[in-house]
Amino acid sequence: MQSAAWLPVAFEVTLLGGALAVLLVAVVAERNRSLWGPVAGLAFAVAAVMGLWQWVEVESGGAGLFFSSDGLAFTRSPMVVMDSFSALAAMILGSVGFVAFLASWDLQVKLGKRAAEFSALLLLAVAGLHMMAATPNLVVIFIGLETASIAFYVIAGFTRKVRGSDESALKYFLLGSLASSLFLYGVALTFAATGSLTIYGGNSIRDFFSSQVVTEPGILLAGLALMLVGLMFKVSAAPFHQWAPDVYQGAPSAAVGMMAAGVKVAGFAALARIFLGGMISQIDSWAPVVAVIAAISMVLGTVMALVQDDIKRMLAYSGVAHAGYLLTTIVAGVPGLEAMWFYLATYAFMIVGAFAVVSVVGGPGAAATPIASFKNLASRSPETAWLMAIIMLGMSGMPFFAGFVGKVLAFVTVGEAGYLWLVVIGTLTTVVGLVFYLRVVATMFAKDDDVQEPLVVSVNTRFAVIIAAVVTFVFGVVPWPLLDVVRSALPL
Amino acid sequence: MPYLTLLIALPFIGAAVVALLPRSRPETVFPVALGVSVAPLAVSIYLLAEYQIDESLFQFFEYFVISERFGVAWELAVDGISLFMILLTTLLFPIAIAASRSVSDRLKTYMVLMLILEGAVLGVFLALDLIVFFAFFEIVLIPMYLLISMWGSDRRAYAALKFVLFTAVGSAFLLVGIIVLGVMAGDTVGTLSSFDWRVMLGTDISDTAQLWLFIAFGLAFAIKVPLFPFHTWLPDAHTEAPTAGSVILAGVLLKMGTYGLLRFNLTLFPDASVDLAPILAVLGVIGIIYGAAAAIVQPDIKRLVAYSSVSHMGFIVLGTFALTSQALQGSVFQMISHGLTTGALFLLIGMIYDRTHTRAIADYGGLAKVMPVYAGIFLFSAFASAGLPALSGFVGEFTILVGSYLTLPVLSIIAGAGVILAAVYLLWAYERVFTGPVNPKVEGLRDLGFREIAIMVPLVVLIIGLGIYPKPAMDRIQPAVESILDRIEATTDYEVPDFGRFDDIGHDAESGHQEGGEG
Repeated sequence: MQSAAWLPVAFEVTLLGGALAVLLVAVVAERNRSLWGPVAGLAFAVAAVMGLWQWVEVESGGAGLFFSSDGLAFTRSPMVVMDSFSALAAMILGSVGFVAFLASWDLQVKLGKRAAEFSALLLLAVAGLHMMAATPNLVVIFIGLETASIAFYVIAGFTRKVRGSDESALKYFLLGSLASSLFLYGVALTFAATGSLTIYGGNSIRDFFSSQVVTEPGILLAGLALMLVGLMFKVSAAPFHQWAPDVYQGAPSAAVGMMAAGVKVAGFAALARIFLGGMISQIDSWAPVVAVIAAISMVLGTVMALVQDDIKRMLAYSGVAHAGYLLTTIVAGVPGLEAMWFYLATYAFMIVGAFAVVSVVGGPGAAATPIASFKNLASRSPETAWLMAIIMLGMSGMPFFAGFVGKVLAFVTVGEAGYLWLVVIGTLTTVVGLVFYLRVVATMFAKDDDVQEPLVVSVNTRFAVIIAAVVTFVFGVVPWPLLDVVRSALPL
Repeated sequence: MPYLTLLIALPFIGAAVVALLPRSRPETVFPVALGVSVAPLAVSIYLLAEYQIDESLFQFFEYFVISERFGVAWELAVDGISLFMILLTTLLFPIAIAASRSVSDRLKTYMVLMLILEGAVLGVFLALDLIVFFAFFEIVLIPMYLLISMWGSDRRAYAALKFVLFTAVGSAFLLVGIIVLGVMAGDTVGTLSSFDWRVMLGTDISDTAQLWLFIAFGLAFAIKVPLFPFHTWLPDAHTEAPTAGSVILAGVLLKMGTYGLLRFNLTLFPDASVDLAPILAVLGVIGIIYGAAAAIVQPDIKRLVAYSSVSHMGFIVLGTFALTSQALQGSVFQMISHGLTTGALFLLIGMIYDRTHTRAIADYGGLAKVMPVYAGIFLFSAFASAGLPALSGFVGEFTILVGSYLTLPVLSIIAGAGVILAAVYLLWAYERVFTGPVNPKVEGLRDLGFREIAIMVPLVVLIIGLGIYPKPAMDRIQPAVESILDRIEATTDYEVPDFGRFDDIGHDAESGHQEGGEG
């Protein structure tokens, strides 16, 4: 481990360095995007490789806690953890970030010289997201959350001239800030009840539960509840989802994919780390609450997605339902982690791919994009239509696409944990969900002579959509390589 | 040599080949698609030839672990039941593809979807791991949905969505059942879950659990069959689907339901099967009479045949839940026979629809004078469907009726009325369409061409062949269904009645009936 003492923060350092480099290069070569574009893309790719390096290091040398300092009791605790859990998060976030960056290329072309800021913000956001997954410290989770959130607030409002973008950013900012402060308040109350801010290490929350009797259950439960609500808001689980449809609809299409995917990956990683890593002994007190949130999310997300005419709102509500499916894996406890990672890894690619297609059809900076605008896509651009069909079927949970594997794993583990009613709700909402995913497919393949001109898809976007569809299909048919990986992605 | 994996893979490979054909050569799509669809037929005929009657029940066993922890495996095998299901599937697909000559719009996509559908259906009949089974069972919906919604007739969007929703709701319950059962089975082998059918057979399931699981599984399969009162999707889907879609729906897809009932409900939940058998048999008989009665009054010829499917599938369900060896054999046989006869009728309706673009019986009349060959084949298919002796329909239905008389005499007698009603609706339809004065709308229509006759020949030959000499099929079906009954006898206090006196006088029960029928 000595040789790579910086490795635990290599992912963040790479992305932050990338962000700085992009801004510097942009100052020097103001209009020449061909110079700093590759820098940002490269940063994502290198960051993903750093994740892989971390993974290999953990597999051979074991996981570890890093960067503790002497001083006050609550700061004498590790700030960063490098385990297979954080390494997998790094690989997913890095590669999804890379794909999302490719998908946003058309948008950057449109943005002109402001694209440098956009790239830098995207890099910062992903760095913040991974920080949430790679720390045992609740305050550092908060810092990561805020880093990512603030970057995304700005990205949501990046196309200010487009109607809805302003509203999107403001709504995201106001509600997001509320959620962040709720989370922070929860951290404070948890500290009050347990005397610790860290999940592992000396004097940790885990130690507290194994050695002490909870004397202030009210404060502890309030702390848990507030942290839960804060994170539920970020991953857009119902009933904390109201911001998502408006924000998704108003934000530039090409950027929404990463907003949706990244926050889900990091939010669930943090959720799993806090609740399964630190609070696992209290599972009986929080799992039923999470189960109810999961059920509400699945039902509400599915029902609301049914009646949407705008594909971005539809995907936002379907994202609420997906948050519900993901929450069932948290309810299942530690055995659910495998399902959670499989689901997250594949869903992240699907949602990025879906929004890449939306940005192709509606325009990269567009806000509202009615489903009707997908009419005749099958003859305007057959390749895009087929790839989108694969992604939609993957999201709907059809067999032989990755969504099915994730859902079955989730349902099996939560069924094993005794929540049969969640399995029933999950399968039934999956069926109803078929309606709105198939509606997109049917619209694409419907004949319409009004819209005939071929759709030109840029190379970068095309590449992004292909990667997303390939991930959706390959891990649906051949899931075991990914299963082997996610099985060992356990928190410390 | 993993023949079964090869069998499933061939249509998918074929679909890829068709998809990669150059866009500049559209004329190659049809022959290539037809060619690649024959390959699975060759494999399944090889399997028929190599299947040993005297050896173990399941042959050509294949096993590959997908997830050890979750107990999921690529597990395939063939027994006497699935053997004929795959033969039926691989036979009907090339025929349906050959019958799709009139499809001009987006032919390549059409063929790709047909081949994907074939691969998925084969997976359903071969998988012994319930997650893999479910995966194939569910994915069948997508190509069928697209086939109906893209190439169907006027109300296609409505019919396609109705088809998907009905079956998908059923499969939601099926998935819940599979997961619950898988978690239970996992406890017996010490993994998180296990979806191996053989492990599930060895799992001890309480009576209450059996009841609920039976309902969960049964609901999915009953919708697929479709059993009364879940049949309402069928007339719409069959009527709106393109010809090949109707042939495949009626010929193959409905069999997935009855196959599931036989393969999983009867074996995994024997107690619940014995308890609920009378209820399902009653629903089957209601379906027989209701379907036949509804068929009589249909003004649309395609809808008429669709309702006749409800009636015929009722026989299969009655035979399945009569729980006697003869009735079960009859059910499996009827699955094959119904696939051939109803497939033939839908093909014939498709051929005339291509010429006239109307399905209303009132638009026809005197067609026998205009198209004598067509009329002959249609009358033959109608007879076969109605169960005329010496044709395959008779063997299946008669065996079911005799077999179910042992345990459910009243139902058996009522079901017998269904055979008479079948003659009524089919022959009355024949009379209205083919006899009487020639309707001006059908004057001058071209009779069947060489390709159309060639499509019908294999079906006609098999209908006659199986009707006269069903023994090769019955010999392979019998051990398979008797092993199901043996299991029910071993795990419950139900005793399977049989025709003891036929054995006493030295006759095999089966051949005794057929001789009687032909005489």
